[in-house]
Amino acid sequence: MNERIINELIESFGKLLMAGLKVSLPLTIASFSAGLIIAFLVALAQIAKVPVLRHLVRVYVWIIRCTPMIVQLFIVYFGLPSIGIKFNSFVSAWLVMSLSVGAYCSETVRAAIQSVPVGQLEACYCDGLTFWQGMMHVIVPQALRTAFPPLSNSIIGLVKDTSLAYSVALVEILATAQRIAARTYDYFWLYLEAGLIYLIICSVLTVIQSRAEAALERRR
Amino acid sequence: MLELKNVHKQFGDNVVLKDVSLKVEKGDVVAILGPSGSGKTTLLRCAGYLNRADSGRLVIGDKEFDLKKIAGKDLLDYRSRVGFVFQSFNLYGNKTALGNVTLGLTVAQKMKKDEAEEIGRKLLERVGLSDRVDYYPSKLSGGQQQRVAIARALATNPEVVFFDEPTSALDPELTGEVLNVIKSLADDGVTMIVVTHEMEFARKVATRVVFMENGEIVEENNSKDFFEHPQKERTKEFIYKSSTWASDTQIDGSGI
Ligand SMILES: Nc1ncnc2c1ncn2[C@@H]1O[C@H](COP(=O)(O)OP(=O)(O)O)[C@@H](O)[C@H]1O
Ligand SMILES: [Mg+2]
Repeated sequence: MNERIINELIESFGKLLMAGLKVSLPLTIASFSAGLIIAFLVALAQIAKVPVLRHLVRVYVWIIRCTPMIVQLFIVYFGLPSIGIKFNSFVSAWLVMSLSVGAYCSETVRAAIQSVPVGQLEACYCDGLTFWQGMMHVIVPQALRTAFPPLSNSIIGLVKDTSLAYSVALVEILATAQRIAARTYDYFWLYLEAGLIYLIICSVLTVIQSRAEAALERRR
Repeated sequence: MLELKNVHKQFGDNVVLKDVSLKVEKGDVVAILGPSGSGKTTLLRCAGYLNRADSGRLVIGDKEFDLKKIAGKDLLDYRSRVGFVFQSFNLYGNKTALGNVTLGLTVAQKMKKDEAEEIGRKLLERVGLSDRVDYYPSKLSGGQQQRVAIARALATNPEVVFFDEPTSALDPELTGEVLNVIKSLADDGVTMIVVTHEMEFARKVATRVVFMENGEIVEENNSKDFFEHPQKERTKEFIYKSSTWASDTQIDGSGI
């Protein structure tokens, strides 16, 4: 490792970190938020036994879980335009990853909701609350607490999955490293640096996760 | 004041309530006794509209409700007239004692927060828990949890409160504090229907006693006459066994 490479790595570090903060992390947060909403709707459709919908959501979960994410990305980004539906890289990645989070986390969320004793929902009814009010005020907050550790693991997994969006021309961390290396041919060092950026982001998230878990634990 | 009319309920082919009717006067404390599986819980749950009856009506004050279906505005009105206390407390785990009492007021009855909290504090004081207002259920003993649940059931100042074995889930040394609270409500004239296995409670606190078996009311009387002059053979036997050593007939884990 010579001085040129060291300088190059220092210079590229900022670029990779920026790509992480401006592209990968926002994509993670946007996908996770939307995915979590989907996961709750899927879980509730099954728990509330909403007719038709409860079967449709199972088909959705099945399809998402049994096809690779990269194939889904290709279908959305390269395939859909041929039938006139065009999304840019970010939106394509966001769509696919939201649907993926929604499918994978729905089981976690469902188990967490069902871990809250059903008697609490009956108590809500006695208090005059509707099913949905009981869910929002009593059941879901407790379910979130239970689901917090597995869900935060999903976020960390998601950060790493954003690198797949490289394949649909999203200039995230990996693509940025690839572009710099294409000029300098220092592939080894730049991919190592890209790995380091993921390591940093995920480590920070891990620390936040354990702090948040401790804080939640104090409030019960 | 409160009347159950012909409540019928079956689960599949299993007829659990056979046209049960019951009249309760204001201020009455009715103890429902009976062996496990006789339909006591189901009767309360139908009357409390946690299960839908196949048919039956409930008159409370000036209103009559169809226990087969209560909906919309009627349901909220009905809920505010009826309180329910569960065997297993069912406190909201994410709410403090005060939050448990006020949730229905703020969310369902759309009351302002301060107003609801004032009511909540008063009720918690009434059940002897002024010093536990901000505690979460997990930090309370079983007896304290059940007292919070009683305060919660009283939040809307209901015309009747149903209790399903309020002390059965408690360690023996904690039943007293809960029964004392129920007794103090009785002294204040709160109308209550209490499914119980506590014979002492039925004797001393209840004004009326109802004995159920196989989904029917076998015998019903004021509590003095019920215990001193039971009419039916089956009732005599039950009183005799329950008052002596027959705890095996008292254990009731049938749940929902
Ligand atoms: N949700 C239910 N589904 C099917 N059967 C039930 C259900 N709830 C109660 N039962 C049946 O109804 C009968 C009466 O039960 P229950 O009302 O709990 O009696 P008790 O409270 O007097 O012990 C029992 O035979 C019980 O198995
Ligand atoms: Mg019972």
